[in-house]
Amino acid sequence: MASIARSALLRQTAALPKFSAATQAIARQSAIAANSVRATAAFHTTPQRALLPPLPQHVDGSVNDPAPVPATSPSHGSYHWTFDRLVAASLIPLTITPFAAGSLNPAMDAFLCATILIHSHTGFQQIIIDYLPTRRVPRTRKLFTWGLNAATAVVGLALYEFETTDVGITEAIKRVWSA
Amino acid sequence: MIAQRLGTTALRRVAGNPSAFFTNNFAKLALISPLSNNTQTRPVTTQKLTPADGDSILAKQRLSRPVSPHLDIYDKSQTYFGGSIWNRITGSIFSGGLYVFGSAYLIAPLVGWHLESASIAAAVGALPFALKGGLKFLLAWPFAFHCLNGTRHLVYDLGVGFQRRTIVQGGWYVWGASIVGGVYLAFFL
Repeated sequence: MASIARSALLRQTAALPKFSAATQAIARQSAIAANSVRATAAFHTTPQRALLPPLPQHVDGSVNDPAPVPATSPSHGSYHWTFDRLVAASLIPLTITPFAAGSLNPAMDAFLCATILIHSHTGFQQIIIDYLPTRRVPRTRKLFTWGLNAATAVVGLALYEFETTDVGITEAIKRVWSA
Repeated sequence: MIAQRLGTTALRRVAGNPSAFFTNNFAKLALISPLSNNTQTRPVTTQKLTPADGDSILAKQRLSRPVSPHLDIYDKSQTYFGGSIWNRITGSIFSGGLYVFGSAYLIAPLVGWHLESASIAAAVGALPFALKGGLKFLLAWPFAFHCLNGTRHLVYDLGVGFQRRTIVQGGWYVWGASIVGGVYLAFFL
């Protein structure tokens, strides 16, 4: 009978705990088919590769509480986004001009350094925010965030040193490239 | 359709309410049941739980939820040649390099390293042509890629170029142009 061969029905039959004599007979008849169905069902299940196993779960408040919506903050949202794009876009002329013009302007060189530093800092920030979620690794997130702040300060100082004691970043790249 | 329903309802009934009558009249009952207006019985029992017990069951169930699919199941060209992730990788190479060089430059006088532009240029100049060109390509390709793909993303941010064809083609153009540009910057400049 077509209905007995239905996979969903077979799965139900296999899962039911108690049977009368009649259904046990049916179940015995379709035992091989049921096994193959269960094997197929197992095959279709998403494989569990525990790269990031779920954390211990707990319910805050009650199960019917709405998901918390963070307060809006333009300076962490749209302003930040626009600022990031402006910095990125300004790097295009800043990178090309000194090499194309062939002239060395210390002010422009310093501006290039500062823009690259900001671009790097926000880029690393985005990487930290993406890959180190506070929910999963709160202390590591904090460590990396402050580590990045410290590193940016150090590199800022280093770039100042390089700009004032050496030849500037444009000229240095030119020297190394044509060496 | 009706034949299938007959089987399902009959089996459910058997599971919920086994009886001697049923074993003898399986086929008959199966035919009758969908026509009659009887309520179905299901082999499910309910249980009183405290809210805390309910929460702990929910917490346990959440642990057995399916995980996100692995990267391997997606189209390989999208997984491994996606412009977005390579933009991040190439950017990290340069920014990471800048941060390492900056820190090293600051402590160089204390440790006795020579990281002034003149000594680096001299060290690079002493390398054989192929090695020098190779090293320059390793810097020039990520630079070209990050520039071109970064511009592509800035164009996306204007809300332009989101047709599927444009996205796929643009990705391959950036790969080609960045390799050509990298070779030009490394060997012909």
